[in-house]
Amino acid sequence: MLKINDLHASVADNEIIKGLSLEIKAGEVHAIMGPNGAGKSTLSYALTGREGYEIASGSATLDGAELLDMEVEDRATAGLFLAFQYPVEIPGVSNMEFLKVSVDSQRKARNLESYTSSEFLKIAKAACKQVNLPLSFLKRGVNEGFSGGEKKRNEIMQMILLKPKLCILDESDSGLDIDALKIVADGINSQRDGERSFLVITHYQRLLDYIKPDFVHVLADGKIVKSGGPELALELEAEGYSWLESYDRNAEQEVNA
Amino acid sequence: MSSWLANTISEAEQVQDWLSPKRAESLAQLKNTPWPNRKTEAWRYTPINVIERARFSAANDTVVQATAIENLDSIDLVFIDGVFDAQASTIDFPEGLCISQLSEGGSCDWALDSFKKTKPNKHFFGLINDALATSGVLIDVAADAKIEKPIRIVQSFNPGSQSHTRILVRIGAGAKACVVEQLQGDKLCFNTSFAEYDIGESATLEHYRLAMQCQAAISIGGSHFSLAESAQLTSNLIGFGSQLSRVDMDIIHAGENATSKLNVIYLLDGRELFDLHSSFEHTVPHGTSDQNIRCIVADHANAIFNGRIHIHRDAQKILASMNNRNLLMSDDAQVNTKPELEIYADDVRCAHGVTIAEIDEEAMFYLQSRGVSRPDAQVMLSFGFINELVDQMPNIAIADWLRPQLRQRFANMEIR
Repeated sequence: MLKINDLHASVADNEIIKGLSLEIKAGEVHAIMGPNGAGKSTLSYALTGREGYEIASGSATLDGAELLDMEVEDRATAGLFLAFQYPVEIPGVSNMEFLKVSVDSQRKARNLESYTSSEFLKIAKAACKQVNLPLSFLKRGVNEGFSGGEKKRNEIMQMILLKPKLCILDESDSGLDIDALKIVADGINSQRDGERSFLVITHYQRLLDYIKPDFVHVLADGKIVKSGGPELALELEAEGYSWLESYDRNAEQEVNA
Repeated sequence: MSSWLANTISEAEQVQDWLSPKRAESLAQLKNTPWPNRKTEAWRYTPINVIERARFSAANDTVVQATAIENLDSIDLVFIDGVFDAQASTIDFPEGLCISQLSEGGSCDWALDSFKKTKPNKHFFGLINDALATSGVLIDVAADAKIEKPIRIVQSFNPGSQSHTRILVRIGAGAKACVVEQLQGDKLCFNTSFAEYDIGESATLEHYRLAMQCQAAISIGGSHFSLAESAQLTSNLIGFGSQLSRVDMDIIHAGENATSKLNVIYLLDGRELFDLHSSFEHTVPHGTSDQNIRCIVADHANAIFNGRIHIHRDAQKILASMNNRNLLMSDDAQVNTKPELEIYADDVRCAHGVTIAEIDEEAMFYLQSRGVSRPDAQVMLSFGFINELVDQMPNIAIADWLRPQLRQRFANMEIR
């Protein structure tokens, strides 16, 4: 589904992603863990096409289509979805309008008819209930005055409505208490259908107790330095990331030698 | 002296009624005031020679205008070309509310004192209105009365008409009311409409001025407020802009602990002009005022905003803020904005900001990342920019009625 090959990306002339390769097959859940500054968020922004994230070389294809050449909105309609670490507040634009226009854009790209307002209202209400947000949130401005947890749940609601092929979850667990975490994880799990793939970016093992990954990767200094099964996350939880420093030193020594 | 002004003065000299003593003062002042031109600071960006050029007469071409606000259960006072339309108006009022015609004002003990009480004498067309306004209403809300239904003063104008109306409102201590001044019409006409509000101690006024005259209309007026101790004012101004639209808003904090909030939306297209001069006068300590002015200006339109905050010498502990954000939709659109802060007290917090807004790129990316195209996202964000203030309107029926009209007007701007 997603194939990233030797990706190099920089922000303000600083290279952050330094040759990252990763393949995610349909239906798989991959987790990327790593210390602060490893490049986790940069990876998600580089893939979704945020301005200011320059791609120096490499490729990233979604079902064979090169994402890195597409406009932001075309990546989205191609099936890429990013659940933001810090969802943006847009006062004056109602959540309902935002959701309807987003879903309509996606349907248009798939040559499907737009929903009528009443059809969409039903669907939106169901999604809203699924992530345990009061229906009044549909009327409010996008994320306006939402708590951190409510914003994260709004992201998951969008994911449910947009039905992407590949979901990148950028620290969807940060700032959540255990109840909110369960709601977010349940929302994500409800979308696992054997076809849809997930890239879960997180600091902590905690989220992975609820969303069982097939693979875990450790990102450090812009590269994947270790990959393994779910047990790798437990190992990291127990040992922290400090072993990475020795890993780096060893690597450097190897290079120098 | 301009011939228009000379004619106006001689016309005004014929007016004889209970307000004559007050009218005479204004006439005397008018005679000593030069006709405003580009060198007059208050009219620097707003040419008024169209008033002299245009020919006005009694209208004979009556245009019926839809002015109803859907789902709003209001007390309606309807004026067509400045003439009260009793048939279209509400006749029975709730307890605590007394409404009479300006022409009958001689029998109201408070009215003579209230005339020219809150409207400053500096407004040139205010003086003209003083001299010529023979129609209008007097609204008296008794102390502690809570008037649930909004009082809606609807003015519509036929082509070629000329009219001058005056509204005097007294809100008793502890009372609560909502007043809507609604002005509509797109044909060439000339009207001045000034309203004075005397808000009593601990009283609350929710106010709307829907200055929705557009295109060829010439409309000049103002809403002026005086707040007694602990009074509260929330005012919303919608400006569509026209050949010449000018509104002066004066908010005077005469008593301590009063709070005032003014939200303004301009939506200008074609060659329309809308000129707002707001003035917040903090004469006493302890008070909060806040104003938000947002403009979307398209085509060759011109938005003018002059925002004055005046904090008097002993008026300590004032919180005053002013924020003006503008969005230009074309290279030929113009915004002339000037904050004017005069602060003579030293223990106050006064914030002001003016921006010619760029689209918020973070919000843009968020929308695009959901599949919304950049042009669609731009429309959503631009409309959201003004809709944020519509969302803040306390009256949901008015907000719901306005939204599609603003959206339509905004969509028309987009087409070019």
